Amino acid sequence: MQPYGEFEPARPAPLTEKVVEVAAIPVRQEEAGADYEVTLQSLNQWQLAWRKFKKHRLALIGLGILTCLLATAFVGPIVLPYDFASIPVPDQIVYQGRPPGLGHLFGETGGLQRDVLTLVVNGARLSLIIGFSSMMIGVFIGTIVGAIAGFLGGFLDNALMRIVDVMLSLPLLFVILVASRFFGNGSALLLILIFGFFSWMGVARLVRSLFLSLREQEFVEAARAVGVGNMRTIFRHILPNAVSPIVIVASLIMAGNIISEAFVSFLGFGVDSSTPTWGNILSNALTFIPLGNWWWPFFAGLAIILTVLSVNFIGDGLRDALDPRSRA
Amino acid sequence: MTKYIIRRVIQAIPVLFGITVVVYAILLAAPGGPVQRFANNPRVTDTQRLAFIHRWGLDQPIPVQYCRWMGICNPDKDGLATFVSDQGLPNFLPTFLGGGDNGVLHGDLGVSIDTGQVVSDRIMASLLPTIILAGTALIVWVTFAILLGTLAALRPYSLFDQVLTIFTYVGFAMPTFWLGIMLIYTFSGPGLNILPAGGMTSPRISPPFGTNDYWAWFSAQPIKAILDLGRHLILPVTTLVVISIAGDSRFVRGSMMETLHMDYVRTAKAKGLKARTVTFKHAFRNAMLPFITNVALELPLLFTGAIVTETIFSWPGIGRLTIQSTNQFDYPMLMGILLIAAVATVFANLLADIAYAVVDPRIKY
Repeated sequence: MQPYGEFEPARPAPLTEKVVEVAAIPVRQEEAGADYEVTLQSLNQWQLAWRKFKKHRLALIGLGILTCLLATAFVGPIVLPYDFASIPVPDQIVYQGRPPGLGHLFGETGGLQRDVLTLVVNGARLSLIIGFSSMMIGVFIGTIVGAIAGFLGGFLDNALMRIVDVMLSLPLLFVILVASRFFGNGSALLLILIFGFFSWMGVARLVRSLFLSLREQEFVEAARAVGVGNMRTIFRHILPNAVSPIVIVASLIMAGNIISEAFVSFLGFGVDSSTPTWGNILSNALTFIPLGNWWWPFFAGLAIILTVLSVNFIGDGLRDALDPRSRA
Repeated sequence: MTKYIIRRVIQAIPVLFGITVVVYAILLAAPGGPVQRFANNPRVTDTQRLAFIHRWGLDQPIPVQYCRWMGICNPDKDGLATFVSDQGLPNFLPTFLGGGDNGVLHGDLGVSIDTGQVVSDRIMASLLPTIILAGTALIVWVTFAILLGTLAALRPYSLFDQVLTIFTYVGFAMPTFWLGIMLIYTFSGPGLNILPAGGMTSPRISPPFGTNDYWAWFSAQPIKAILDLGRHLILPVTTLVVISIAGDSRFVRGSMMETLHMDYVRTAKAKGLKARTVTFKHAFRNAMLPFITNVALELPLLFTGAIVTETIFSWPGIGRLTIQSTNQFDYPMLMGILLIAAVATVFANLLADIAYAVVDPRIKY
């Protein structure tokens, strides 16, 4: 008779698995001497900025909209079934155009019966390219002028800043309009150059003021002390510290240039009127408004508003994210 | 104060000079220059083209042309003699002192290469419609900006304030001309045809604006004439002011909020004054100080805004003249318009400074 035989507790089967785990843990405990680990993840400036940027809800929405717009601008023309330069079938022409419907989501234009969605999507490409590249040119010229003026100072600084003063007191839209007519010839490239040439002044002033304060700081003195040349000091040591304000101003310039392009094209002095840009679409639609065609200009304008709004929001977000004084 | 004004005017001269140099260079350095206006006209022969170039002095070096346009050079002479007037004295002197009588310095803006009209006459004729449009716009703009901004500042973060914020963002992003087009569709399209789509007068009841007939009709039936003009003003003025109102109501709100948190406002409240008195007598006046400067600085926007607004609404003013002249490469006209606009801008800025000194006794010049 086995005493307490029936009371002998059954061996718990799962124990074997636990043993394995327990066997694994002591190894770590021996190493670290603690039962938890601390990982120190270091974030660089841009990761920090992104973390702050993400907290700005409108800026995130803006970034999303702008990404979608960019995607449609470059992929849309391939996907959409219509051609922006299509020739209408003579017996199917409705002169004032067809309102939005299932076949044509944004309706059809008057006259040549083109699909408004296709036009707006194709126009987006050129409008965004013009806005972006002219902004890049403006920022490039402005940064170089501002850097030279702020770093070297003296006579050169004075001369450059007087030029900036004069350029800033020009009625800019008037001059851009006239320059587009006299130089533009309906070419997008020339238009980009013209817009770029008239959008550097703000950047130059900003960069100059940044350089004036940065060039007095110790790290610049240190760079000089070890014999770094002027050019290298400007571009390798000072400029990276001035990037964030420049990025913010750049977003504003881009928004402004997109509207300016629409303005100039609308008045008939922009890109050749058979090429779709948002301004051209509005300009071509003008005569069909009294016939009741609202959808033709409406969607092009909506595209402009959406783009400029999202660029402005992104600018707001960047301001919050890149300003070291705002801690998020 | 007088000394300050004189100093400001003298300071403005080099800037004005610079502006004219830049724009003159743009207009005449363009490849082809003003002869481009014949680019698409096959009936203009090369001989005619050359004759045109010679007649307008376009074959001269650009600095010489600019010098003649300014009135420093005498257009009838060549070489170094250009600096000497017919009387044998320096050409830039005033006419009664023996100088020439051409160029901006002598009050002569030249002749349009498109229509042959005297530039200053043509600009004068277009000035009144633009002043009517821009003046009305200015009044509407300032009134609404102050009204909306103050209301938003009194109830910050309320529903009204948030709606205004959205309006500000959208207004900033909206192209003026698109708004104009949509307004035309809404109010004078086929659906709701209640407002005129363009022009300054109704052709059925009134003679064209600016003619002698018009002024005769105006003096005969002033009320009817003003009402008619007002009806034509509604859409263009709305188009012109929305952006400015969007920006400036925000500006007024910020300025008002800041003032409402000042110590003296709290003191005024603490000594038992009515909320209304505190807001409108103590805070409001001081909050308006920066706004005055802001309005004066934004006045040039009315000019660029007028270019497109007048085109959409076929308003016979400076803006439409600008477009016509740009279309025709009419550089004397464009230079005249630019000069007027630049001088107006300088004076607007000066006026802002003076107004600021008048309303704010702390400022001394």
